[in-house]
Amino acid sequence: MIEALILAAALSDAPLADAGMEARAQILMREIRCVSCENEPISQSASEIAGDMRHLVRMQIKDGASDEEVRTYFAARYGDFVLFRPKVSGGGAFLWAFPFALLLWVAGALFMAMRARKNRNKPALSPIKDVDHENDI
Amino acid sequence: MIELGHISVFLAMAACLASAIFSVMGKSQETNRAMLFAMGATTFAFFVLVRAFLGSDFSLELVVNHSHSLKPVFYKFAGTWGNHEGSMLLWCLITIAFGTVAVCVMRPSELKTKAIGVQGGLAFLPLVYLLFASSPFTRLETAPFDGSGLNPLLQDPALAFHPPFLYLGYVGFSFVFSLAAAGLILNEVGPEWAKRARPWALFAWSCLTIGISLGGIWAYYELGWGGWWFWDPVENASLMPWLVGAALVHSIIVTQKRGSMASWTVFLSVLTFCLSILGAFLVRSGVLTSVHAFALDPERGRLLLIGLLLVSGFAFSLFAWRGPGLKAGSEFDPISREGALILNNLFFSVAAATVLVGTLYPLAMEVVTGDKLSVGSPYFDLTLAPLMGVLFLAPPIAQAMTWRAASLSPVLKRLIVAGALAVAAGVAGFILLAGKLWAVFGVAVGVWLIAGTITDLIKRLGEGGLSRLPKLSLSVWGLTIAHVGLGLFVIGAVVETNGRIERTFAMAQNEVVELGNWSFAFNGVEGVEGPNYYSDKASILATNGNRKTELTPEKRYYPASGMPTTEVAIRKSFAGDLYVALGDPIRGEKTGWTIRISINPMIDFVFGGVSLIAIGGFLAFAGQRRKRASPPSTETVPAE
Repeated sequence: MIEALILAAALSDAPLADAGMEARAQILMREIRCVSCENEPISQSASEIAGDMRHLVRMQIKDGASDEEVRTYFAARYGDFVLFRPKVSGGGAFLWAFPFALLLWVAGALFMAMRARKNRNKPALSPIKDVDHENDI
Repeated sequence: MIELGHISVFLAMAACLASAIFSVMGKSQETNRAMLFAMGATTFAFFVLVRAFLGSDFSLELVVNHSHSLKPVFYKFAGTWGNHEGSMLLWCLITIAFGTVAVCVMRPSELKTKAIGVQGGLAFLPLVYLLFASSPFTRLETAPFDGSGLNPLLQDPALAFHPPFLYLGYVGFSFVFSLAAAGLILNEVGPEWAKRARPWALFAWSCLTIGISLGGIWAYYELGWGGWWFWDPVENASLMPWLVGAALVHSIIVTQKRGSMASWTVFLSVLTFCLSILGAFLVRSGVLTSVHAFALDPERGRLLLIGLLLVSGFAFSLFAWRGPGLKAGSEFDPISREGALILNNLFFSVAAATVLVGTLYPLAMEVVTGDKLSVGSPYFDLTLAPLMGVLFLAPPIAQAMTWRAASLSPVLKRLIVAGALAVAAGVAGFILLAGKLWAVFGVAVGVWLIAGTITDLIKRLGEGGLSRLPKLSLSVWGLTIAHVGLGLFVIGAVVETNGRIERTFAMAQNEVVELGNWSFAFNGVEGVEGPNYYSDKASILATNGNRKTELTPEKRYYPASGMPTTEVAIRKSFAGDLYVALGDPIRGEKTGWTIRISINPMIDFVFGGVSLIAIGGFLAFAGQRRKRASPPSTETVPAE
């Protein structure tokens, strides 16, 4: 029984005939988390279940599923935990927006501060053109 | 002997506390002496532990759990810090060592006394933790005949040196923290303070760079996955202080040269060490489930968290008290070297915040809503790649700008050649990488960085030309080498990630498979016996035209700890590394082995680039040290 499972796991790693489909499957396998390992995508795990999950990804791609459909399939069975790419909807919205919102907010604040300084009508500053100052960082 | 080591840790703890108290009382001699005494006591304790490991003293619980009499001597030695308790002792030793170096090299001043006192406090806390929650000197009632060995994954030269360098980085920032705290207490944060703090920051950051890259190199050839960075929470924990440290080694230049950004620089100085402790907490508490969190212990986690709160609470209170009163420094135009370095800091900080939020988000969601979710490489790739892509466009422009105010047109005119080269590289990349846009952008950015940095070097040489090369300061060399290294790293990282081809094969004996331009013939597997392991060793003949090379990946089994490891076989070739890992045997209809083969292009650019960044950091450090040795009169800032 166990041998049969190992065989199934090993054989399921046969790549898909269509190179484009195989490439998509490879990317998805790097984004789906092995459920029996610690923090490993199924593409990297040597565990049996990861082999089965890889097989499932390939079968679905072969049957014409879109990337999103494959993700939804796994999330429905194992929960959002299985997706290394958090969903943009719901709890993931903050996560995805955070870096860019923070960047814009701080950049905006810096810009306002600069403008406020400029509005104070200070005399224009001149560059420092001192060679020693330049070369001695 | 063991008990003497244990006692000397108590003595070190008392000495550190004494050093902090003397410092508060303003007694500089006594503060220094207490620190030196702590150094002696901790060194002795560490030596006792090393000796126990080398001599396989199995009356010590730690040695039993992490060593074995048959282990090679080198790994017995490295095993001293290859475990939680030993690594905490190393943390304490390095904290005190930085304090001791400061005692020896810093000119006597109030800043020195205060900083060494704070350092004493920073050493006192982990010593208390070591003695009461994770003592390495616990004896067993009856000594077993042999130990259970070190995790075989960790028996590796790169990983033997990974923790010491990582800790030199993490803990190196502790003295930057101490200087920041002392500067705030004395209200002395300004150009002179920055000049004194800068070598420490550069040294710690360079060590951290080496520590992280050793981890990446190890992951590349030991884990058998072919990758070098996995966005694992533990890796993220080390990346956060690195990113903030990178911001710090840039902002501190502005504070030193122009007196500006003083409060921001001091904030970063404090934050970097707090993030280092946060990293230790995340790794050691096991609060983030991850492949690396080998020491799962909630009690220890809680104590580390209390330590983090004490340290950060102390520092941020100081900051809240003194921060608003700090001098604003010289004025500058938004378009200037200062302005460019502020943008640098903006991007590094947002990147660090993104890593922090991404790493802690699953934990926060689970606590708040009970939902379990994962944040992995797709998130970090998609958010950090654009941030870093934009950031890495800046150095050539920033380097060409003058301080205080600059005009963009001469700067851009000077960089026309570099820009043209970058565009050309982008076009070449577009053809070679089959139109992967991110990768194309990455290659162009890398070439831009290298060409722009060399343009800057040529400008600095001036009319003297190449004859002036030996006259350039070490700081200029540091800057040049680090930024060229960054460019090489960017090129290597995007080409490797996008151009890697990998496949897992189920191969029977004598079967031949093709990958890339190579064919791989599987000649079977033989059993081999090593000093403390058994091994299945495969023989695979790789052929490409006239070129032939034999690859022998292994799967090792260490009976002492019952764990298998993969030993991948790697051959350098023009197209990249041939990388072969042996999987499991297949039985049944088809007998054979699963074998994973990949071709990783330009992987050496990744590790070589990071090494250059670290070398650049060390050169800049040496440049700062040399400058401090010469009279300070050359450092005058021109009149406003």
